[in-house]
Amino acid sequence: MSAKKDMEARFGRACDALFGALKGGEALAVEFEGEDSTFLRFNRGKVRQLGSVERADLTLRFYANGRTLGSGTGLTGDADSDAKACAALLARLRGLAAGLPEDPFQVLPAATGSSREEFSGRMPDGARLVEEVLEPGDAIGRAGADFVGLHAQGPVCRGAAASSGARHWFATEIFAADWSAYLPNGKAVKSCYAGREWDGAEWRRRLAAELPRLEALNRPERILPPGEYRVWLAPDAVDAFVPFFSRMGLSERAYREGSSAWTALRDGRKKLSPKFSLAQDFSLGAEPRFNESGELAPERLPLVEGGAFANAIVSSRSEKQYGAVSNAAPEWEGVRSPSVASGDFDDAKVLESIGTGLYVSNLHYLNWSDFDSARVTGMTRFACVWVEDGKIVAPIKDLRFDESLYRLWGDKLEAVGSRRAFVAETGSYVIRNLGGSLVPGMLIDGMTFTL
Amino acid sequence: MSTTLKKLVGEIAPPGAEWCGLRRVRLSARAVQAKDGRFDLAYDYVDEGCMVEVLHRGQFGYAAVASLDSGALARAALKALELARVGSARPVHAFDRSVRPATVANWETKRAPGRLPGADELCAFAIDATRAMRASEKIVRSDFLFELRDEETEFVSTGGAELVQRKHIVGYNATAVAREGTLTQRRTLNGPRGRTLQGGVELLDFPAMKAEAVGAAEQAVELLSAPECPSDTRDVVLAPDQMMLQIHESVGHPLELDRILGDERNFAGSSFVKLEDIGTLRYGSDLMNVSFDPGVDGEPASYAADDIGNPARKELLIEKGILVRALGSLESQARSGKPGVANQRAQGWFRAPIDRMANLNLEPGASSLDEIIGSVEKGVWMEANRSWSIDDYRNKFQFGCEYGRLIENGKLGATVRNPNYRGVSSSFWRSLFKVGDASTFRVYGTPNCGKGEPNQLITVGHASPVCAFKDVEVFGGEA
Repeated sequence: MSAKKDMEARFGRACDALFGALKGGEALAVEFEGEDSTFLRFNRGKVRQLGSVERADLTLRFYANGRTLGSGTGLTGDADSDAKACAALLARLRGLAAGLPEDPFQVLPAATGSSREEFSGRMPDGARLVEEVLEPGDAIGRAGADFVGLHAQGPVCRGAAASSGARHWFATEIFAADWSAYLPNGKAVKSCYAGREWDGAEWRRRLAAELPRLEALNRPERILPPGEYRVWLAPDAVDAFVPFFSRMGLSERAYREGSSAWTALRDGRKKLSPKFSLAQDFSLGAEPRFNESGELAPERLPLVEGGAFANAIVSSRSEKQYGAVSNAAPEWEGVRSPSVASGDFDDAKVLESIGTGLYVSNLHYLNWSDFDSARVTGMTRFACVWVEDGKIVAPIKDLRFDESLYRLWGDKLEAVGSRRAFVAETGSYVIRNLGGSLVPGMLIDGMTFTL
Repeated sequence: MSTTLKKLVGEIAPPGAEWCGLRRVRLSARAVQAKDGRFDLAYDYVDEGCMVEVLHRGQFGYAAVASLDSGALARAALKALELARVGSARPVHAFDRSVRPATVANWETKRAPGRLPGADELCAFAIDATRAMRASEKIVRSDFLFELRDEETEFVSTGGAELVQRKHIVGYNATAVAREGTLTQRRTLNGPRGRTLQGGVELLDFPAMKAEAVGAAEQAVELLSAPECPSDTRDVVLAPDQMMLQIHESVGHPLELDRILGDERNFAGSSFVKLEDIGTLRYGSDLMNVSFDPGVDGEPASYAADDIGNPARKELLIEKGILVRALGSLESQARSGKPGVANQRAQGWFRAPIDRMANLNLEPGASSLDEIIGSVEKGVWMEANRSWSIDDYRNKFQFGCEYGRLIENGKLGATVRNPNYRGVSSSFWRSLFKVGDASTFRVYGTPNCGKGEPNQLITVGHASPVCAFKDVEVFGGEA
């Protein structure tokens, strides 16, 4: 049995066992996350760590007599032991839930739909990972740089089901070769080759395509004083800001609790540039539309349109608590599959349009620095270069920025690129993430750097 | 020690394995939270699994499964061997069995006898506390969260390791958000999840916790009418709950040997510290003494040995301002030839251990709090971290705190809101001019230090006295 089929079977058996054992007055929502992953971690073009992880996690939400209790456990794949574990878990939840206070905003699962999406892929042969993934990186070594990063591959599965009848399954086989090339001077380029169909020739082509960027980074470093600079934010750099719509972001709950940095936007006291629009867009196909209760989000949900607030991210719990209309968000109310609208700027004219200023390829370690003004601080990273008269002059010594997003994407947003890049989600805390974002580059006329 | 596990590792070790290890981890976690005087959430979950590690021709391969079944573990061992074989064609370093010591130990968190309160009692307290926190109508959110974890790790190997460690973690926090007009201010107990400690029922003093939660709410309201932190250059005096973050980001991460060796460059970053700096670099002023100390009672990353079985003991990393040792595990020590510590740790059964901070502490100095404040002509007191950012070499940083007070002519003065400061690690620590004595020393921790590819979160501890730094760039918010 393939790993995906095995995972689906585990999910199905667990749902059958759990839903079949529910008593009157009880309800249950079951979320499944599984993977069978191989991780090749490399440094200096050589193997640092190589291993595999197989996990199948159930996250449960149990409802009884007005009480709500979350829980979770792993599934081993052995039908008998998993059935016993599910039965024991349910018994434990009944006992624990009885001791809890009533949940004032309990929303019993109501979803009834079902869906099934499965995507096959072609991964490098596990026995030839060194030849397939690392050896092509020797081109980086020949260019005088260190080849470092992580290649992850294998199936990733998600499921959700509810005692109300919903049952959804999403399985895909994906890889992500997330890598950097470091020169002895500490300057580096970063890239990621991710997808479902591994193509060795494409991998080699992508590696070779970065070599010219390395050449530019070998020049003497330019140290710039703090100040305002004209900046092109490449799509990877723009993507670094996207989580700020999730983290203390456009969540209905965050707004109501005084924990949204976008309160002024939502209240209409401030606007972004008409050039800026953001939507949640599942047509990207990178992650499922269902949430942990089996509710299906609309395929597209505008969040910011023409610089103005359009919609908040609303879960069923927030609907009950605040009276807002749910858009089937997960309870954490973050943006999924974000898509920033493209503009009409010709990306081929980036250097010419910067004139004199900075080309920022990547940003690093961003955080809110002043909540009420939506100010964010962070660092430039990787292949950031100083441009004069439309020509690359030198790599820069990394700079810290500290800038309000109302300014950055407000009156300072000069143009939005017409070409968008899909930035794959490569996070893997606990389990490999799915998804990614679609983002353009942006020309900023005056970004504030402080250190 | 489970005799089953000890017997099992010998049975599953595949032919061709020069060494085989089995690490079983069982995490049992539960949490409850109340918000605004009402129940908000409760969860209770268990995660258990095993990682099999095999050494073959100098390369470790690993395979992790959520199972204790001997058949599943035998298959995992074969997979680990195959991956080790694949990797041995091009290893970054050829390891041997010396990096997996045959340590035998049985260790458990020291804690007071008595059971922890059940979910019902914790909920009742949290509901009561969050109701009391809403004394002012300016409070728009009050919450109180308990997070309790029991982590049991068994590590056995064909080399003779037999290690059992049981950690008991108690975490709690209160958050108050106050709003007036367009201004929002927030206070917690020592920053987000700073109260994450090892121990038991002795850590839960409900009357004191409620008083602190109410105090946090009062300070959130107080901050609404406080002026912004001034923007200029002056001395800063950092409370231990901000020192925790300062130590973590600008001492801990840059001293991780795997970062210095380049493993983390594609993700978390590298370090401004070079291998050749170890033993010579003046990291800070003479007052700076930093220790790796896995033996502090209550500190959340205390343990007897790390996840590869290396026995842990206290080591000074920075002595009178000079860097003498880095945070490098046996593997990193073998690769670099530099001294290190027992810090190869994993998030759980599903991740391979890497170089980590554990308990990383600034040793107490000789100054009382009054002496420190009295020595500052113009400065700002800052406490409780709320914003953090630092570059990938761990040099240029900017940190923000929840609560500040001006210091003028040796006296604590008016409260200021949005206190922030920025600097450069390599010069900042050299401006350390006062280190508090043991009376100012506090122990904190955090469960969410992120690092590694694949990514890992881990619990770390930081203890520090109050410290003062000369001529720092400080600034406030824009509202």
